[in-house]
Amino acid sequence: MLSVILSGIALGAIYSSVAMVYNLTYATSRVLSITAGFTFMIGGVLGAYFIDIAKLQPIVGFLATLVAGALLGLAIEFVAVRRVLERSDQHLWLLSTLAFSTIIQQVVALTWGTEPRRFPRLFKQDFGGLLDQKYWLPIGAVLLVAAMLELFLRRTIIGKLFVAVSDDTQAAVARGIPVNAVRAASYALAGTVGSLTGFAAGQLTFAYFALGFMLTLNGFIALAIGGLGSTAGALTGGLLLGLLTAFATHFFGGAFQNSISTGLLIILLLARPQGLFGVRAARMV
Amino acid sequence: MKDIDRKGLTISRRAVTAAAFAMPFVPAKGRAASAEPVKIGWLPSLTGALATAAIGFDHGVRFGVEEANKAGGIDGRPIELVSRDTGSDPTNAVNLAQQLVFTGKVNFVAGPVNSGESLATVPIIARAHIPNLVTGAVEELIDPVKYPLAFRVVNTTTQWISVANDYGIKQLGKHKIAIVGDTTGYGTSSAKRAVEMVKAMGAEVVYTVLIDPNKTDLTDEISKARDAGSEAVMVWTAASGLAARLLNTRGDLGWNVPIIGHPVLGAPSIQQLLNKPSYWDNTITIGYQSMSFGPDGKLPEHTQKLIDAIRPQLGSGPIQFNFWWIALGYDVVQVISHAVRTAKSTDPADIRKVLNNTKDFPGVFAQYTWTETNHNGVPDSSMAANLANSFKDGCYKLAPR
Repeated sequence: MLSVILSGIALGAIYSSVAMVYNLTYATSRVLSITAGFTFMIGGVLGAYFIDIAKLQPIVGFLATLVAGALLGLAIEFVAVRRVLERSDQHLWLLSTLAFSTIIQQVVALTWGTEPRRFPRLFKQDFGGLLDQKYWLPIGAVLLVAAMLELFLRRTIIGKLFVAVSDDTQAAVARGIPVNAVRAASYALAGTVGSLTGFAAGQLTFAYFALGFMLTLNGFIALAIGGLGSTAGALTGGLLLGLLTAFATHFFGGAFQNSISTGLLIILLLARPQGLFGVRAARMV
Repeated sequence: MKDIDRKGLTISRRAVTAAAFAMPFVPAKGRAASAEPVKIGWLPSLTGALATAAIGFDHGVRFGVEEANKAGGIDGRPIELVSRDTGSDPTNAVNLAQQLVFTGKVNFVAGPVNSGESLATVPIIARAHIPNLVTGAVEELIDPVKYPLAFRVVNTTTQWISVANDYGIKQLGKHKIAIVGDTTGYGTSSAKRAVEMVKAMGAEVVYTVLIDPNKTDLTDEISKARDAGSEAVMVWTAASGLAARLLNTRGDLGWNVPIIGHPVLGAPSIQQLLNKPSYWDNTITIGYQSMSFGPDGKLPEHTQKLIDAIRPQLGSGPIQFNFWWIALGYDVVQVISHAVRTAKSTDPADIRKVLNNTKDFPGVFAQYTWTETNHNGVPDSSMAANLANSFKDGCYKLAPR
């Protein structure tokens, strides 16, 4: 049973990280970017590429992955979000980020291949057991990211700019805040977070091109459980979803895994639309 | 995708031109009355999740077409290959199959490569009365009454399961079996069929489970299989990630139980996903006699000949994917050539008559036999149990008997 719990927590950490990516992009643009799970996938693929194929030292490969993740985030903001927000107040970003996600997946499939590939062992350790790094690296990385994000948003000027833009974009513009630059920075940070956790979880997920959509969906469910905009909510939502998935598979088999997670989403949206940690938005009348 | 399609058409045009130039050198007796091309519609999934095998098939088909056209085509009729990438998506496959049979006016359709797409396209191609060479393994794809022009050139799922059961139960003497499938349509139906067949052989199924192909940790499932007293684990999934995780978990738990099953267990992509090379030991992959090294370390003559001929096109080094994919693609073209040559026509009724009466047609992958009532062309004698860790040049050693 311990292995089921540990596996559920590690899986939950992955979902939490994708939920945090959603939060970051939503904060400054009100866009729930479909690319969230793809930044994670890119972290695994590029990490494997830099270390296994380009033969970089793991730490150099890690840093290169973060830089690439940030650049990907900037590209998403510039190509799929900025232009769409400038030209329309409809939810066309759903289509543009979906299109960008498909492009990312196809490029990875054509260049990296469609078969999963190994992610290198990062620390010397024998395989197997509950202390295996493949479980603890993603868990540790997500906890660290969550703590850093909270510090960043509460204690730094740039973090406060994120919050200001998130609270009221028009007021932020009136105050002279460069909204476009802040939004680009938040997407770069989202890309970095996704690629960092994708790198950390690579041994668990393998470097595999097809992970993106599955993580985008489950990250969204974690976000809906925890509540949009809350780091604690993303952590809790991901953890609950991971554990629920692990227990559902343990007791009922893999055939019901997805039905149970999407069923949970529907129930939660009906019972508590704002999520566990979300705040119900009041509307001025 | 468009590039691949364009590439496909370019090659076929070039080949058609080459065949036209070669025609004067073909004996007059061999020339058909008309030099109208034989159009083969080909539906590989060159991109998407199921691309790896399809790319192998595609090499074989293209090589077969190129070789036939260099030799003057089929009785003087050049082969025109009309290739369309399905992107591993059954919806795309349906649209492209309709395009090939209704506007492309092809004489044959080969593929799609996998069963999921074929389940969607076989009825459409049958309704258009176009001969269809089926390369998917699930049983439902073939029915001589419903689909009289569909002929299978690969084994069935039942044949794979049958060889695995035979090796595990009869040869290894294991009677408590765990059966693992994935949650795809293929995995679910294969696991169900495997349970029935194991029970029919008098063995006991002590544990059965369906697993999401992307599940990251299988400790729970493998521990349950072990605790249930399994003496062998039969695996029915085409997902290499899942297969590798099963082998890794067995290794990490130090459980030396034989794992037997789907050819993916021996795929070279598995090797680099293993935590340790030794985790591939005691693993039996189901394969083919034609792709197995004999006791003398040699492959069958036809297989070696094709490997030698196609190797330069694959980069001249060792072949790094299952060679049966290439051989099967190559055989698709040989079977079509045989049917057109014997029928002296591409009329579907004539083609059906020829294929229904084809016995022991010597391909590289297998010797094919079809009858009026049986359109599954690969005989049981073509199947083999292989050692997964013996992969070399796209082929395997036979498992010890």
